[in-house]
Amino acid sequence: MPFIRQPLPSPELVYDQQDVLICIFQRGAADGLNSLVPYGDPEYLTKRPNIGVTTSIDLSEGFYGLHPALAPLQAIYNAGDLALVHATGVPHDSRSHFDAQNLVEGGVVNKTELDVGWIGRHLASSQALTNSAFRAVSIAGNVAFSLTGADEPIAIEAIEGFGLGELTGTSYQELLSDWFEPGVPFSSTAQASILAMDELLQANPGQFTPQNGASYPQSELGNKLRQAGQMIRSSLGTEVMCVDVGGWDHHENLPFYLEASLTDLGNSLEAFYTDMGSDMMQKITVVVHTEFGRRVGENFSSGADHGTGGLAYLMGGGVNGGQVQPLAANWPGLADQNLYMGEDLAITTDLRSIFSELLIKRLGRSDVNDVFPGFTGPTDLSLFLN
Amino acid sequence: MPYISRVYKSLLFKVCFRLLFGHRNTVMMKNGIFDEKISRRRFLELSGKAVGYSALASAVAACSSEGGNGGDTNPDLPAVRIPAPSTEYSILRRTSFGVSRQELQRIEQIGIQAYLDEQLDHENIDASAIEATIASLFPEASKTPTELRPGFPDNFGDVVGQLVNATQYRAFFSPRQLYEVMVEFWSNHFSIQVINGLEPVLKPYDDAQVIRPHALGNFRDLLFASANSSAMVYYLDNFLNFKDAPNENYARELLELHSMGVDGGYTEQDIKEVARCFTGWTLDFGTGEFVYNDGLHDKNEKIVLGQSINFGDQRDGEAVLDLICYHSSTAHFIATKLCERFISDSPSSDVINTVASTFLSSNGEIKDTLRVLFAHNEFLQAYDQKLCRPMEFMGQYIRVLNPNLDLPTDNGQLNYLIISVLGQVPFFWPTPDGYPDSSSHWGSTSGLLNRWRIALSVGFGDLYPLTDLIDNENTAETIINRLANEVLLRPMYDSDRQLLIDYIAELTNLAPSGVIPNQYIPDVVKLVTSLLLSSVYFQLR
Repeated sequence: MPFIRQPLPSPELVYDQQDVLICIFQRGAADGLNSLVPYGDPEYLTKRPNIGVTTSIDLSEGFYGLHPALAPLQAIYNAGDLALVHATGVPHDSRSHFDAQNLVEGGVVNKTELDVGWIGRHLASSQALTNSAFRAVSIAGNVAFSLTGADEPIAIEAIEGFGLGELTGTSYQELLSDWFEPGVPFSSTAQASILAMDELLQANPGQFTPQNGASYPQSELGNKLRQAGQMIRSSLGTEVMCVDVGGWDHHENLPFYLEASLTDLGNSLEAFYTDMGSDMMQKITVVVHTEFGRRVGENFSSGADHGTGGLAYLMGGGVNGGQVQPLAANWPGLADQNLYMGEDLAITTDLRSIFSELLIKRLGRSDVNDVFPGFTGPTDLSLFLN
Repeated sequence: MPYISRVYKSLLFKVCFRLLFGHRNTVMMKNGIFDEKISRRRFLELSGKAVGYSALASAVAACSSEGGNGGDTNPDLPAVRIPAPSTEYSILRRTSFGVSRQELQRIEQIGIQAYLDEQLDHENIDASAIEATIASLFPEASKTPTELRPGFPDNFGDVVGQLVNATQYRAFFSPRQLYEVMVEFWSNHFSIQVINGLEPVLKPYDDAQVIRPHALGNFRDLLFASANSSAMVYYLDNFLNFKDAPNENYARELLELHSMGVDGGYTEQDIKEVARCFTGWTLDFGTGEFVYNDGLHDKNEKIVLGQSINFGDQRDGEAVLDLICYHSSTAHFIATKLCERFISDSPSSDVINTVASTFLSSNGEIKDTLRVLFAHNEFLQAYDQKLCRPMEFMGQYIRVLNPNLDLPTDNGQLNYLIISVLGQVPFFWPTPDGYPDSSSHWGSTSGLLNRWRIALSVGFGDLYPLTDLIDNENTAETIINRLANEVLLRPMYDSDRQLLIDYIAELTNLAPSGVIPNQYIPDVVKLVTSLLLSSVYFQLR
């Protein structure tokens, strides 16, 4: 079919109606206990005599402290734009990375219920604000499972190079578009690619540089968040962006590797927050989470094996920040009798509750029946502002 | 630490520059035909990241999510609309890294069964020439840990580079095509990321002595060799698995990824017990060689899958391997993966069960198992069910455009860069599950776009003698008809062909049957080739 150039949406059209969602998935089961340390629990150092963090930055209630590498997040927390939820997860019971990631991204507890991604279901059951090809974006070489179910999510590894160059003109692309007409295998992917290339060319996100003195780490995550910022600024009409950050599977030498991972995470998030500035951050919500946390007790390789409850970070102007949940009084506890299956941090907050509240208060949904069918957990934990 | 050494990197830059763009600019046709003069800079931008270190870094970024699986973004794949290729083409495409015209003619002569039998009898195919070349160009790729250890980490770049190059050379140029397909299959099944700590010292030996000897051999031998591989012991932390201090990582992946599969019926308790069985299976960090250390072994009784294991020595781990290697779950898991490799992304339970039962009845003989798979109707009749992966995309255009299989003059450096852009560098996948084998993973906007960009680089890069593909054809119609046959080796819809003819006609400002001046024919050939490589006809297996 002939390729038709689409006009770009105006920024107001997108951002005044709902937040842009950035979902960062820590792949590999990030350890929550050393990221946000429940130092007020006397069992913490008993269970982690060697790898326990003793220099955490006090954050809340004289109970929780931030890993020192996350120091860049402290100011954001104090400004009320960062909330942290500990002991969270989807109660799927899997300790396989691969299964658990699918279950969390699919928003279900059992493999038999696996269908498409939760974000994909949200997008499929809500009106697109524009007809941009970039409504759902995976800043990666392939589409994140959480986005499946949406109409042709775009996978883009880098803004620069997302095109066919200038060797050939638009008639070359038009021919490809004609060849990949509906019915032909990969037709919709091909059409999305061509449309996306053209929109990117028009929007020219590469023209934007980090503002307000923001300095992104030269890491994959830093690079991806910088580009997320560019895409948002260029009014591509992006509603959801998914970003992966790997390297969290700390079976051994956890203190060393986690510090590096958290330094990257903290600096990248802080850079993005600074770059966007408070006005734009009013319309952006960033969620960071993982597939499950790590075991409470350290192993003999100065690491920790696969566990259950983990940590989630919520950042944005619409976040009811400056709080940690659960309150210390509701902390599940690290003594043997409090542990899930005798080994793991018990989940007190279902991740789907967090996602539900986010979808309703910040992304304009009236309910989540089409996103988490059958989910009966709470959908308002006062983690977000209206 | 750089993924390729500085020397290698600057050589890459120079060679890539020279080979892709020649020593001159390409001047496109004038007078309203093409009116751009293409600068060298534009060529560079065109192939995007295909120069230097950034390509490699981007490739790692492209495949670096730990276990992040794509979902199904291509519901239209089964709705095959394009005209079917010949059965010979389809079978050859699925059992090799690429189909050349010569091979297609050969299989048409001797018949499909004879061809497959020949490929299965791989030791009787003479690969001495390519192996001699590889031994001389890439000596690091087959060295032992003891040989590589002293030079580490300085030799990191050379070792990784040569291992990848050797693998690509074999995949693209070896006459033992089915064997190399199976080497890739098992390398992914027992996936080890080579750019990971000490792995450059360890993985070459794993490739040469674990995967390659047994790829068309026996599964039990393969499994045992892998368990005794220092590369695997290191990758999955089994060297940290001691009595009183067990580490479950290897035990978990042994059951979940190497044998029974995540639904195979084992429990978390089984994983713990299996870990105890493998305590003491470690490596000597001085030499990099596998070593069993009885002093680290947990000698108490273990119960695995309901069986008591109580040897108190290395036989505990071996007993686990014997328990799982012919378990019905293992047969089913392996059969499913084989059917997904050779047939489609969702093979029927009938073919899976057939293959699984042969796996069991032959006691894990891989050739017997494949024979049964290849004899099944679902295999024989399948076509266009899978999107080719990047290695297969490269293999296909290399073998089609370069039927003499001339070896690269740059010792494979450009091919290394291209596979980086496309995101399937051998041994770079970061998690133990190996590169995915589903169209949904590879058929993303980014994936497709990268192929289109590489197609342009190949078309315009003066890499292959493209004008050899035509004879005296000199009109848009005749050139395109000829090239469509030579490059695709399968029929094209008339309407698609006509669109291409009209496109060239318009660009040349001539009628489809108008004679194109000689000096412009090479550029027409390049453009048409790029488009054909970008078409859906080229992508499907």
